[in-house]
Amino acid sequence: MLDAQHIQYHIGSRPIVNRASIQVLPGELTAILGPNGAGKSTLFRLLSGELSCNQGRITYNGQPIKGMKTRQLASLRAVMPQHSTLTFPFQAKEVVSLGLMYSRPNNPKTIEKEVMSATQTWHLKDQLYGNLSGGEKQRVQLARVLAQIWEIKAIPRYLLLDEPTSSMDIAQQHHIMQIIGQLKERNIGILAILHDLNLAANYADKALLLKQGRVLQQGTVRKVMTPENLQGVFDYPLSVQTNGPGAPIYISSLPSAATSPTNYTYKLA
Amino acid sequence: MIQNLSYSKTAQQSLVLAVLGIGLVLLGLLSITIGAFPIPFGHAVSILLSQLGIDSGTFTEQEANVLWQIRLPRILLAILVGGGLGVSGAALQGLFRNPLVEPGLIGVSSGGALFAVIFIVFGSSFPWLGRIFGSFSLPLVAFIGGLINVMLVYKMANQGGKTDISLLILAGVALTALSGALIGLAIFYADEASLRNFTFWSLGDVGGANWDKVKIAFILILFPALLIINQFRNLNALAIGENEAFHMGVDVQRVKYIVLFMSALVVGVGVSMTGTIGFVGLIVPHLLRLSFGADHRLVLPGAFLLGAFLLNGADLLARTVVMPAELPIGIITAILGSPFFIWLILHVKKLNS
Repeated sequence: MLDAQHIQYHIGSRPIVNRASIQVLPGELTAILGPNGAGKSTLFRLLSGELSCNQGRITYNGQPIKGMKTRQLASLRAVMPQHSTLTFPFQAKEVVSLGLMYSRPNNPKTIEKEVMSATQTWHLKDQLYGNLSGGEKQRVQLARVLAQIWEIKAIPRYLLLDEPTSSMDIAQQHHIMQIIGQLKERNIGILAILHDLNLAANYADKALLLKQGRVLQQGTVRKVMTPENLQGVFDYPLSVQTNGPGAPIYISSLPSAATSPTNYTYKLA
Repeated sequence: MIQNLSYSKTAQQSLVLAVLGIGLVLLGLLSITIGAFPIPFGHAVSILLSQLGIDSGTFTEQEANVLWQIRLPRILLAILVGGGLGVSGAALQGLFRNPLVEPGLIGVSSGGALFAVIFIVFGSSFPWLGRIFGSFSLPLVAFIGGLINVMLVYKMANQGGKTDISLLILAGVALTALSGALIGLAIFYADEASLRNFTFWSLGDVGGANWDKVKIAFILILFPALLIINQFRNLNALAIGENEAFHMGVDVQRVKYIVLFMSALVVGVGVSMTGTIGFVGLIVPHLLRLSFGADHRLVLPGAFLLGAFLLNGADLLARTVVMPAELPIGIITAILGSPFFIWLILHVKKLNS
């Protein structure tokens, strides 16, 4: 389990993440939802080990992140940031192969082909990364990140994704979410910051609502993603249509002159 | 075809390195024979073999002396210094994630030069330095100067894991200007004897080579260069970003210190022996990247070989163009390098993907 207990991170006296507790179980997709500035990215960086929290503790499979070697951490979790820019002319396959730089699997060629096929980037393997489109770059980066934890192992591992589908078209978005779904069978726990509430509602197992650095709700999607909860977090009217267990969930919002965000807050109050 | 991932070199990379290596050896042999005092190729080979105890032909004692005391140390020094400049340029570009970085442009060379001059002028005030380090004193002092400047530039240009290009170049310009001014100040206070030492040093280029210098360069350039080359995997990861490299298991801080320290050592030692030679560290990594891709597995060792080749070629030009006089080698590299740098500035957007 990826477990964060009462973690706190502040810049000066301003708390960015405020006593947040999070559990990510292997075999589950947990979605972090929240408005801009809620502290999603900071929380993400704390969990990935990039930042260390001022208070609280984070453990991977019971082992505290503090004092863990960089390389050991890399064997337990892979991270995909929102944007990665490449300085030099690397080919797509070279970028993907970097994901394997320290795991040294027995069958690196097979893994590379599998992750690139899964992300539909195998045909781009010989192209320069810089010449790819935004969506293609994102898929190549995803392939690199997947390569890091692709080898099947008994120990639970984790995948942290910061808006993995932000530059993708609708078909690719669903495709990527399906790949992520398949990872669950590999005993991998996935934590993803998602902007698209419908993707979150229909693919995630758990959801976590974050606002002003605080975790407001955490639990199963159907329990957490109710109209009341979502409206409270996003300060905008939303409708959630659930059609019984197993059926798709539709979340929609409409333009409304009468309910600008500020007005709406007043109404709630 | 499936890309080789086993972190051994691909066939193409091995081939490129082999060709570069053979080219370097051939150029070295050619350089031995050409010069104000020509030595026939057959004689040169016989002299080299005779040093190994193999008697294979005739040569005059004068030929043997010129080759053994003047040309060979000079060629070996050019190989070590040129190779060092090439590999440190490649590694610093990788570390700063910027193709405009060059030891001369970011102040490493000028820092090394400043400290070398200070040592030459005021060294007699610190007799203990010479007692402890002997002939290693000058290169080590130059290393410290280079290290101070590269650390300063790094601190100024690096903010939140990102290197600001304009800050980097400006910081390099500022530190180079300051170092130049301080060199002038040191010379102002120099006495007759140290002034003469300084003049010899500043004109030094690879013409001042002797076996002592080659030995020091062998220890203080070749070994740090090998340590840098060994960082190829980490520098590949850094090309995607510092955070991404950390996510993949790279101890980013350690890589930074290794590359900064070893580059300062390689460049500082080189500067202390040959004076400032610019642009080798800029051109060489680019030629390799443009031709064979950015994989540091090839770029780092290739930059050593190509840098050695380039400096040897420049030296060959420097001592043959106006024979029997010699041009300073820095002039040749600057004439070749400056237009290249301008081209690079104009195309840097395209290169940065």
